[in-house]
Amino acid sequence: MIADWPLIFPAASLRSGRSPVPAKAGIGLRFPHHQAVVDTHPEVAWLEVHTENYMGGGTSLRCLETIRKDYPVSLHGVGLSLGSADGLDAAHLARVKGVVERIDPGLVSEHLSWSIVGGTYLADLLPLPMTEEALDVVCRHVDQTQACLKRRLLVENPSSYLRFRHSTIPEWEFMALVAKRTGCGILCDVNNIYVSACNHGWDASAYLAALPPSAIGEIHLAGHSVKQLDGGRTLRIDDHGSRVAPEVWALYAEALARFGPVPTLIEWDTDVPPLEVLMDQAARAEGALKEAQRERARAIAA
Amino acid sequence: MNARVPSLLELQRAVRRSVVARDDAEAGGCVVAGGIEPEARLDIYRNTFASVLTNALRLSYPAVHRLVGAECFEGAARLFIDEQPPQSACLDEYGANFPETLARLEAVAALAYLPGVARLEWAVSRALHAPDAEPLDVARLAAFAENDQARVRFAPHPSAGLVRADHPADAIWRSVLEQDDAALAAIDPASGPLWLLVHRAATGVEVSRLSEIAWRFTEALFAGCPLRSALEDAPCVEAEALLAEHLAAGRFAGFSLDDTAIS
Repeated sequence: MIADWPLIFPAASLRSGRSPVPAKAGIGLRFPHHQAVVDTHPEVAWLEVHTENYMGGGTSLRCLETIRKDYPVSLHGVGLSLGSADGLDAAHLARVKGVVERIDPGLVSEHLSWSIVGGTYLADLLPLPMTEEALDVVCRHVDQTQACLKRRLLVENPSSYLRFRHSTIPEWEFMALVAKRTGCGILCDVNNIYVSACNHGWDASAYLAALPPSAIGEIHLAGHSVKQLDGGRTLRIDDHGSRVAPEVWALYAEALARFGPVPTLIEWDTDVPPLEVLMDQAARAEGALKEAQRERARAIAA
Repeated sequence: MNARVPSLLELQRAVRRSVVARDDAEAGGCVVAGGIEPEARLDIYRNTFASVLTNALRLSYPAVHRLVGAECFEGAARLFIDEQPPQSACLDEYGANFPETLARLEAVAALAYLPGVARLEWAVSRALHAPDAEPLDVARLAAFAENDQARVRFAPHPSAGLVRADHPADAIWRSVLEQDDAALAAIDPASGPLWLLVHRAATGVEVSRLSEIAWRFTEALFAGCPLRSALEDAPCVEAEALLAEHLAAGRFAGFSLDDTAIS
């Protein structure tokens, strides 16, 4: 199977930065914790930031450069809009390239989604119709991004609250096809799989099982909320505003069993808690990663 | 659009109408209901659009937010977002024209100083997020003969900006952010107009007051006018000292002579 995957970006280049991101637990770094991380140097294996927050200059960029000297850093983009029918925004891609060159991150990622049409930014990671046309558009833009950045991109599976009637490809197949056609890696967001599976009636385990293990370069874990709608129905909302749910921890264990130990990030964006809470969640992920490493060692020994 | 399969571009345009203009006529028909009205599903994206952009404006305009209160701010933000949705994912750049929306909003008309405070906040936000740039090397400038120096056009540092306000916007802005009610009460709102210079220094963003003529001279320099014509337009007696201060503070990032860029 592995031989079928293009070798344009060999596995080693996945962690090609000066300081590679290890298969350990990291946390999403947001502005409220900048100073605490610089001052207290918490024991966390790596940090991830939103690329768009460092496109200017000044204090925040200097702070990230300081932090980068002590920690491997991953750049996670939210604004490239890989699924825009209008084409990639060259100016935004140039800004991403600027941050990548300045920070030299261990990983660079973006989303399987779209945010811009007709020059309007819709301020969300919007779902794509799962069609051949959308697949072509996404693959073209992943190719362009990887060529521009001269490195492998990780593409994250989305969370969504709606599906389009004219979709013809299951999302998990779509993800695998993007990786196969472009050589990009997959950022497997386990919470997103759980949220979307609940919202659309999918089998989360089957989704995981359909993703190619060799392409998985990172895992995301986050909290979500449950929104009550009229008529007693609910939608799970991927708001990154609470601890990881028990069901998502269980699915994470399944993911590690399938993919082996992979760099795992605790994301928290709404009502960001004290650093200790994030560290606590990262410690739990670290425990699961250690277990996965032991499993792997046992499998190799046997 | 229901009968045939929309192209990706058609679908994305329909979703934009849904998210920005709350028009679900086309997008709703493309969405699988699955027990939940398509409108309720699209509401999730509409809500995120409004809340993310309102939050971006709140981060750029914290003093305005405190002055008018959360509810009024949300109303003003909603109006602005409807009229001028963002064009890029760089939300630090979103909201340049919000002060003009505030200026014509009846609900805040009693706060005559509000648009001035907002313009100052935008200049401060712009200064905070502006790209880094090496300050102009004064030694290179000094190497030119005096006559050539008069032909120099300066390029302002990306963080440098000028604001004119009819009211003491800087004092109001500071006391609101410091939540210093006594200082706020002591401000005479009629003690304007004033001319402000905003710039990011190594220690943070600085806001300073200039005389009107010094402000106009600086404005001409920031616009790229040659030094001599800036002096002719704004005959500022302390021009030499002011220029030296701008240079020492790193408010210029480069200069050119006869349209040749020298940084």
